Amino acid sequence: MAQTLLEAKNVSKNFGGVLAVNDVSVKIEHGSIYAVIGPNGAGKTTFFNALSGFYYPDGGQVLYQGRDITTMPNWQRVQLGMSRTFQTPSIFPELTVYENLLIGVQSQQKIAFKLRLPSASRKKEIDAKIDELLGFVNLAHLKDRPVAELSHGSQRLCEIAMSLSVDPTIVLLDEPMAGLAEAETERIMRVIRDLHDRLGLTVLFVEHNMRVVLSLADHITVLDRGAMLAQGTPSEISNSQAVREAYLGQEVLNRV
Amino acid sequence: MKNRQMQGYVGAIISVVLLAVLPLKMGSHSVLSLMHLDVSILSEMLLFGIAAMSVNLLLGYTGLMSFGNAAYFGLGAYGAGLSIHYLNVNFIEGALIGTAIAFIGGLLVGPFLLRRRGIYFALLTLAFGQVFYFIAYRANEFTGGEDGMSFSRPYFGFPGWHTDLHETTFYYLMLLVFAAVLLGFWLIVRSPFGRTLQAIRQNELRVRYLGLDSNKFIFVALLVSAGMAGLAGALYGLLIMFAAPLMLDWQQSGDFVMIMILGGAGTIWGPIVGSLIYVIGKDIVSTLTQTWQIYIGALFVICVLAFPRGLLGTLLYAIARRDVGAPVSEEEVAHKTWEHGGSAGTPTGAAVAAAEQKES
Repeated sequence: MAQTLLEAKNVSKNFGGVLAVNDVSVKIEHGSIYAVIGPNGAGKTTFFNALSGFYYPDGGQVLYQGRDITTMPNWQRVQLGMSRTFQTPSIFPELTVYENLLIGVQSQQKIAFKLRLPSASRKKEIDAKIDELLGFVNLAHLKDRPVAELSHGSQRLCEIAMSLSVDPTIVLLDEPMAGLAEAETERIMRVIRDLHDRLGLTVLFVEHNMRVVLSLADHITVLDRGAMLAQGTPSEISNSQAVREAYLGQEVLNRV
Repeated sequence: MKNRQMQGYVGAIISVVLLAVLPLKMGSHSVLSLMHLDVSILSEMLLFGIAAMSVNLLLGYTGLMSFGNAAYFGLGAYGAGLSIHYLNVNFIEGALIGTAIAFIGGLLVGPFLLRRRGIYFALLTLAFGQVFYFIAYRANEFTGGEDGMSFSRPYFGFPGWHTDLHETTFYYLMLLVFAAVLLGFWLIVRSPFGRTLQAIRQNELRVRYLGLDSNKFIFVALLVSAGMAGLAGALYGLLIMFAAPLMLDWQQSGDFVMIMILGGAGTIWGPIVGSLIYVIGKDIVSTLTQTWQIYIGALFVICVLAFPRGLLGTLLYAIARRDVGAPVSEEEVAHKTWEHGGSAGTPTGAAVAAAEQKES
């Protein structure tokens, strides 16, 4: 049953001699919620960017459903079924929430390049899809507002909805809780759980909030200074001596 | 929304009617002659408007700073001029050949331009523009070099029918072309393709992460822009019966950018408004004072400082804001929807967090 969806094999990335990610291997199974954690500067985002094609790794391989996508352009990866979000929500600020999602749905429907307006029935289909996405992230009441006017948390939800608009199989979330208030963090956590439980998606996310990671993820990779420190289930990670000693700190774990 | 669309249609019709009536004689004087103007100035305004629209597609809609669109404009003029001079083609053929040459120019430089964004893209367009400028400048025997080349305006017609184009008939032909280009432009920017271009302007990375090859979109926008500028250039050549290297020059490109910004980047009618101001400045103020460029320059500075959306753009924005009403905070909207029992309303995250804490 457990089938590998996305796999990193010995991925390395360096920036001008600084080894940001060093020989990291990860196997993400179909239907899992996978977290990559680590302190600031651990190389989480670099690793994430190498997986999503933001840039290409200097060493190693990235495989999607067994297919080598190490140097595949990012937009093609999205067509394969990998979509992602960014630490700072990457949206179209001047467009309304509806229009933001429309760009994605146009892409998913393969009509983005068309000069002709969609037919009435197609338009209905598009609007229904957008309403469904808005319902999922609870942003329907803000449908016609420019995204720039939304709060940070709502922008992030809008971005998550955009990443869903292309019908992905796996969603990569780069620090989805970054810069959010406690209440908003809960909101995003519920959405991530829904991505998995209700939509049946595989989720990979990067996070440094330990509580979030341990309560959401079913598999965790811990990075420290670019290298893999530990890998396993939440209980294995929270019981791992190496992780405790290296940087989690007894105090954090006691709280969890 | 419907109302705004109606206003747009009415505005478009009024504008075209106004443009059509301008050259008409009123008694012994035409409206224009009262202003000491010639009809050809109106043709020039329309053609510069089209050229500025070509820049608008790139900068106003796609977010690409092009300082080289005069290259396509000049290629159009030379394409028409050379084909008329050497191949004796007719008016329509000349215009089409000019447009095609500019399009081919876009096809040649496009792949290089695609590799860069931002200021480097702007510099590349500038550099490629100057390449064409120097080719026209150096190919003396062929293009007349620095002096440019004059040619005659062929008959306008189809097999079996043709007519001589006087300035007034020429103008009406230009008005027809302008209306067609405007309609085409409008269709493009409201299409899924045009929406994607506008999304690229705001966030190209996100467009790519929605599974779209943004380069493909930008390349097509470049080609459309080159074709539009080429058509304007070819017709401008036919209007003044002349083609010169200065038409390809970066200064000319800069003028197109200025015209577009004066009127309003990212608006359909902005470039023609800008073109009107520019032509008035160039051809009317210049008869009053030799330092007309100071006034246009000052207007440009004021425009950029006070109306960064351009004259028409600022007006349209003000109307849009009035229609929408004063901005409301997101919380207010959420609250209202919640109050009215809308299915969209949700308990706030705080409430959920509190509930979850109780459970644990």
